[in-house]
Amino acid sequence: MPAVPRRRRKQFFVRRKVCRFCVDSKLLINYKDTTTLRQFITERGKIIPRRISGNCARHQRHLTRAIKQARLLALMPYVPSPPPS
Amino acid sequence: MRRYETVWVVNGDLPDEEVKATIDKFTKIITGQGGTMVGVEEWGRRKLAYKIEGTFRGYYVLADFAGQPPAVKELERNFRIDDRVIRYLTIKKSDQVDLAALEAEKAAKAQEAAARQKAEAARAAEAAAAAAAAEAAAATAPASAPPEAQSTTAPATEEAPAEPAVEPGKEA
Repeated sequence: MPAVPRRRRKQFFVRRKVCRFCVDSKLLINYKDTTTLRQFITERGKIIPRRISGNCARHQRHLTRAIKQARLLALMPYVPSPPPS
Repeated sequence: MRRYETVWVVNGDLPDEEVKATIDKFTKIITGQGGTMVGVEEWGRRKLAYKIEGTFRGYYVLADFAGQPPAVKELERNFRIDDRVIRYLTIKKSDQVDLAALEAEKAAKAQEAAARQKAEAARAAEAAAAAAAAEAAAATAPASAPPEAQSTTAPATEEAPAEPAVEPGKEA
């Protein structure tokens, strides 16, 4: 059975995105917790936009700040270092 | 008083004494400015995500403390002067500090640290005992050698001479 389109014209399925930090109150945003922060950056080191990750505005703001703090302390990369050739 | 948390990164190519010296120096600055230390956490040597001042290694230290804003200013001024520190970050955790609660937390942390130290010491003692026992066992293995020779080869521990004395008795 094909997925039910939300609108008749567009034939793709839009999955409802939810903010992971709102869903799980135990999941805290902290600059020291790089394993969690790393889930919200691309392999190029860029912060994944809200549009893609589905985070709410409040949590995206906290997340962005935490990632930038982690970058300053060299816990996370600004730009990933190239693999040794 | 406000509650702060400061992380600083010491150049990882420096020896441990230098790292300890920075911890001493900066905790003194905090207390000298009327601050109260709650605890110091050492994350140890870590790989940096990018090269800083020609190195990829850094020693991370986190200090948890309460103090007035000028204390932070003074602390950060000193971070900028000190060449051993390659990065620092101060985070304000709360605007108000309950001094009684702070003391309790400090005591709890100190106790925890003491317990950890005790456990480590116990583990070290256990390991030493195990090593001594192993040595004693090794000393008994060449049983054909005379007892005098055994005592000279084994380091002067109490267990080493005692063990061989028991072994021949068992065999006889």
